[in-house]
Amino acid sequence: MNCQDARLLIGAEPWATSRELAVHLQDCHACAEFQLEMVALEANIRRALEEPPSVVRRRRRPAVQPRWALAASLVLAVMATLAIWALRSENTLAHEVVAHVVAEPQSWVGIDAVSDAALSDVLHNSGVVLDATPYSVVYARSCWFRGHYVPHLVVRTAHSLATVLILRNETVDKPQSFHEDGLSGVIVPSAHGSIAVLAAGSVQLDDVAQQMRLAVRPLAAVK
Amino acid sequence: MRNYPPEVPVSSISAAAAGAAADLRLTRLFESMRPDLLRFAQWLTRDRALAEDVVQESLLRAWRSREALKDPTCSRAWLMTIVRREHARLYERKRLELVSLNDALEHDSGAFLSRDDSDTQALRSAILQLPIEYREPLIMQVIGGFSVDEIARELSLSASAVLTRLFRARNKLRTLYGLTPASDGSGTETPL
Repeated sequence: MNCQDARLLIGAEPWATSRELAVHLQDCHACAEFQLEMVALEANIRRALEEPPSVVRRRRRPAVQPRWALAASLVLAVMATLAIWALRSENTLAHEVVAHVVAEPQSWVGIDAVSDAALSDVLHNSGVVLDATPYSVVYARSCWFRGHYVPHLVVRTAHSLATVLILRNETVDKPQSFHEDGLSGVIVPSAHGSIAVLAAGSVQLDDVAQQMRLAVRPLAAVK
Repeated sequence: MRNYPPEVPVSSISAAAAGAAADLRLTRLFESMRPDLLRFAQWLTRDRALAEDVVQESLLRAWRSREALKDPTCSRAWLMTIVRREHARLYERKRLELVSLNDALEHDSGAFLSRDDSDTQALRSAILQLPIEYREPLIMQVIGGFSVDEIARELSLSASAVLTRLFRARNKLRTLYGLTPASDGSGTETPL
């Protein structure tokens, strides 16, 4: 891979990675710097697109007959409102997870695997250990999230990166899927809290979540 | 207990009830996605009223075609695809009134904006001013969560053409931060 190919890929998908790109970035300081810049820009773009654009309502075309509303009854609308209200609390956790990840764009530029010692420190800080997984951990940081330090990891899957937050103090009743700010994610219950997995590219989130569920154990359980 | 006429079999009553419950779930699902769809449509159309109409029409189409949605977990991408197509249809049906974007943008009171706010505002304006061929894939990727291959399929482009467009979109935005635009070399896109 040459610099031109690398920059085209980085510019198109700043968070994406591949073995070829990773090898190139190890040897090319200029492209590595370009990726850092593009990842930082990406965070700003995502922030900018969080809200609809402020465009003056220049004209109001005659209101469309609410045929959609007719298709569903008034009762359905009321129930839908109640359902959305009920879902809000569940969605809050997902929203905060996304906000946290977007605010830490440097987590997506990891190339080298984190050392065992560094990973171990991050995990121990939250009272967990991680058994072997098929993924290499390229970013590990202990982050303050909802009143606790949680391991914020980025793992390299076959095609892209996936962010993993190990949330020992957050419980969910059932797996939750979400899409926000261009990130897809799942939060799955685990034996010890829950685990959030997010990615911007096409990643098998459920597979990653399942692997991490199996691999995470509380520190106290280690013999 | 409610009595049904003897000619109505119980099985058809329960089937109707199951269908109504499924419709209710779908209604909830669609409605919960309306804000996201509207945001997506507004970035595409650059016009709030038009975006509302596009979303309204899209939801109506989606409702009529709800049988085609086999997997509700794919509904977000499905609905956004419908919104995008509905937006594209506008251009096929008629020539839209063109307005100067500078005239159309609301200018917030700068006196109360922090540096970060003004940066974000400038970036939002820059995104809005991207030509549609660059803005559309960028919005599909960032807001819609579409992969390059999915965007390519939807826009009838090759994956490499989508990569180029995404690259160029971000490259244009780089200049806003005083960064040197990178060269993509090719200057052309590979058609599908």
